[in-house]
Amino acid sequence: MELPRTNELGYFSIRLESIGGLGANLAGKMLAEAGALGSGFNGVNFSSYGSEKKGSPVKSFVLFSDNEIEIRSHSPIEEPDVIGVFHEALFKTTPVLSGLQTDGIVLINSSKSIEQLSQFIDLSQGKIAIIDAHSIALKEKTRVNTAMLGALFRICDFLDPDDLLQTIRKTFEKKYPELVDANIKTFNRGYQEVKIHTVKNSITAQKGSFTRERSELGYLTQEIGGVISTQGNSLLRDLASSRQGFIPALEKESCINCAACDAVCPDFCFVWEERINKRGKKRMLLTGIDYQYCKGCLKCVEACPSNALRKVKESDQTISESQDRITFPLIKGE
Amino acid sequence: MKTVTENKLFDQTFEQITTFESGNEMAAIAAAQINYHIMGYFPITPSTEIAQYLDQMKARGEHDIQLIPADGEHGSAGICYGAALTGARVINATSANGLMYMLEQLPVQSGTRFPMVMNLVTRSISGPLDIRGDHSDLYYALNTGWIILTARTPQAVYDMNILALKIAEDRRVRLPVIVAYDGFFTSHQKRKVNYFKDKQVVQNFVGPASTDAPLIRDPKKPITIGAHMNGDDLLNNHYQQSEALYRAEAVFLEIAESFNLLSKRHYPLLDLYLMDDAEIALFLLNSAAETAKDVADQLRTQGIKAGVISPNIIRPFPAEAIRKALKKVSILLIGERADSYGAHGPNLTHEVKSAVQEDQQNNTRIISRVFGLGGKDFYPDDAKHFFFEALAALDTKQIAKPFDYYGHYPGEVNQALKPVIEPQHGDMFKTGLFKLTEDAEHNKIDVKIPSLRELTEKPKRLAPGHGACPGCGILSGLELFFKGIEGDIVVLFQTGCAYVVTTGYPYTSHKQTMIHNLFQNGPATLSGTLEAFHELKVRGELDVSDDVTFIMITGDGGMDIGMGSAIGTALRNHRLIMLEYDNEGYMNTGSQMSYSTPIGHMTSTSNIGRTQSGKSMHHKDTVQIMAATHMPYVFTGSEAFPHDLIKKAAKAQWYAQNVGTVYGKLLMTCPMNWRTDDQYGTKVMEAAVNSCFFPLYEVENGCTSITYNPEQKGAKLPIESWLRFMGKAKHLLKDSNKPLLFAFEKEVEKRWAKLKIKDELAQL
Repeated sequence: MELPRTNELGYFSIRLESIGGLGANLAGKMLAEAGALGSGFNGVNFSSYGSEKKGSPVKSFVLFSDNEIEIRSHSPIEEPDVIGVFHEALFKTTPVLSGLQTDGIVLINSSKSIEQLSQFIDLSQGKIAIIDAHSIALKEKTRVNTAMLGALFRICDFLDPDDLLQTIRKTFEKKYPELVDANIKTFNRGYQEVKIHTVKNSITAQKGSFTRERSELGYLTQEIGGVISTQGNSLLRDLASSRQGFIPALEKESCINCAACDAVCPDFCFVWEERINKRGKKRMLLTGIDYQYCKGCLKCVEACPSNALRKVKESDQTISESQDRITFPLIKGE
Repeated sequence: MKTVTENKLFDQTFEQITTFESGNEMAAIAAAQINYHIMGYFPITPSTEIAQYLDQMKARGEHDIQLIPADGEHGSAGICYGAALTGARVINATSANGLMYMLEQLPVQSGTRFPMVMNLVTRSISGPLDIRGDHSDLYYALNTGWIILTARTPQAVYDMNILALKIAEDRRVRLPVIVAYDGFFTSHQKRKVNYFKDKQVVQNFVGPASTDAPLIRDPKKPITIGAHMNGDDLLNNHYQQSEALYRAEAVFLEIAESFNLLSKRHYPLLDLYLMDDAEIALFLLNSAAETAKDVADQLRTQGIKAGVISPNIIRPFPAEAIRKALKKVSILLIGERADSYGAHGPNLTHEVKSAVQEDQQNNTRIISRVFGLGGKDFYPDDAKHFFFEALAALDTKQIAKPFDYYGHYPGEVNQALKPVIEPQHGDMFKTGLFKLTEDAEHNKIDVKIPSLRELTEKPKRLAPGHGACPGCGILSGLELFFKGIEGDIVVLFQTGCAYVVTTGYPYTSHKQTMIHNLFQNGPATLSGTLEAFHELKVRGELDVSDDVTFIMITGDGGMDIGMGSAIGTALRNHRLIMLEYDNEGYMNTGSQMSYSTPIGHMTSTSNIGRTQSGKSMHHKDTVQIMAATHMPYVFTGSEAFPHDLIKKAAKAQWYAQNVGTVYGKLLMTCPMNWRTDDQYGTKVMEAAVNSCFFPLYEVENGCTSITYNPEQKGAKLPIESWLRFMGKAKHLLKDSNKPLLFAFEKEVEKRWAKLKIKDELAQL
């Protein structure tokens, strides 16, 4: 097989955008292995490196070239031919489409339609592929990454899906034989169910621009010694993309304000308000959940003795029903 | 999926397999094929994977290396040294501060002339802490007397690991060898690699371990190792060592040549790319050189005579080869991923300069640049920038700045960090709802605490927006403990998950003062802070209230490597709290076993397989060790029993403010590495307590009290009820693991029984 296209160094490149825990690293590795060992290309695979945490953004990179070409690059892929987006929420927090080649393909794990997605995907020319990997994984009791791999193999038709099916068999056969069939099914469903749409929005096609992200602080603006004097500034961050489809919902009528939820919440998202009761005593009342910080672990649902907290599917609707904002002693801007 | 290539040499076939692996995997494969006798190690990113891969292979029965998890890198170097004295083959792997912590052992190893091999997976040294790659650790190794090989690719990592042992053991050399390769760039990037199918080929190549030097292996031939010397003898000793190190150059060439015959892969002293007629060149160590080669190719098409030099060995420094390579080069830009602060250029700049200085015909002008620190990527356009700088110097015959940093930028004033919230301190954290009274008769403190609901009026000490995994037990547990502390706190977090997730620059989740120090030194550091604080107050130089509480927070990893500092601090009885969050492993670096990991539990360095079933030793009883220092208050706590924990926090504060050192251990669920559902974190803790694996108790002024007794509450669970929750321990419930489960159960019951007796008898 031949690579469909290559850059001036002879590389075909794929970037996977994901959050820790969805298995994008493993998907990248399996994709690269299938290309390098199965189809006989030269290849490189690596991930954006961080501490071993779930829920934070990660990228996985795959480069292919003809086997005779030595791949010497060690830096992240800035102008990929294919981008795989493992979690739709990443569009809000990360420039996931950064640098996509003209006529490149973006694969998105989403249950939305092409029309819905087109509203927030700014692509001048290329292809948008959609796969509802989350639903497939839920149905087959497998993981999102296997369904994404199925779709990626469909897109990268220079790779042989049989290589991956063999790997799946090898991986699960010994330790978890019961998972072999489910994973093969998941892969096949990803391969078959992915919908590829061609986009032609503008008259002149242009390569997606990219900016190399860098810290906003420089040597003149960074405090000496790496000291931070802006205590508590992590409250500016939005952690919604750490969630995987479920949130705790609060039913205030059943709540007894026992604070058992507050005691077990690792992300400090419960909102309390001081009220004076009829007897003139102050009482703390739970008024809602600040979903900017909730990572969806659902420990609070287990802790709740009165069933006021329930596990529900995340949607704009369910969020708005229990949403409240924590009041911080913010410094007022000028 | 694997392809096979064949090399025929001397009528023998040395079959090689093509695989797709990272540098760390290849280092592990080489070590397994050599079948070293001993590896003493301590996990540190990014070198940790080597021990992990070796443990996985060991569990499959693929090698016999004794993998010894040390109590820190200093200990790992000690284990390696001790093992090397017997003539056993020894390997180690480390990075960054791991190297720094074992540094004093390295000249001992080389100065007493005991060969071994260490993979140095290069990473930035603290501080500030940065887990990514540069060469600041490697440069500290330059003066240790070790041979240093540098590997640019996973292929070179494999090959050089084989060369290294043979060079180290060569009787003309007998010195330890470091194989240095780039953290993450080479250690974690997967590439195509060839390795020998049959490990016998590797073992034949390195030959049997040499035993002709003085070694500890025969009581009939006793020897003394490490006598102390005076100047005459020491100078002569070091002359021997210096000569041996220089001899290693020829030995390297000889061994590399025979390896070339075997593998068809050639390692000269210097990797010279397009250097025959180069006018301008870059001198780069390891992976960056590869990137630069692509750019040199491009420039050649434009008629620019560009080349790249990258050494395969830097100790001994290949000075003669460098002089030769630079004969025709007009401008050389040396890019270095580390600095020698204040020296007007990093180490290799000066070494190359001094090499060419001895060639009177040499006209090479040298530009020196520090780049790519802390894992900052080196893109092709960065290499191009370097070449253009060299080109500009060639054209203008001037070097405006012989030494500079590259890639730094001033930043914009309007983007400087601005405070987000008003400072939170003092009365804000005082509810006035805690009642602590001294019970002189029983020599203890009685505590009355408010309800959880009332405590929600107290602001959290930590801001949300931290980067912990969903369901992380640490953050909820710490915050619950803080609920019991009134007034201001100064916290010190040793390196570990809680530190990493709450302080990713430029963000901090701490509302009050927070200090980080490396994790064998937190207790000592906070001792200093608090004593200075008091001294400043005594002298009237500081006017703040008396009731600031100092809390040192550590994981169970920090209590392994930092046990000495913790005990020393307790013995000095500083008025501070040491709070351990125990999640039974080194989770921040990828779930390696700690001494607190229970027997049989699976971690990334205690795998399950044909030949082993998880960790082989029992869990450390840190609480009893700390109680033995006779500090005034020691306790255990869990978020599953919030009132018990908050009470203990209030007591801890009282003792730390009025008497002396306090130590407490909180058990925490780590959903990712315990393989539990995020949702059930608290339930898992409850079962750990009710199974008596983690009893809730306190030792107050030497008297032990069980503060929650599941037997009396009718809540006692068999140990299986706890293990069942966790993917890391489920295998213990299988019939084949009955003996292991029994051993664990017996140990838990034994410790519980002892505790009950202590609870009953105040004198114990």
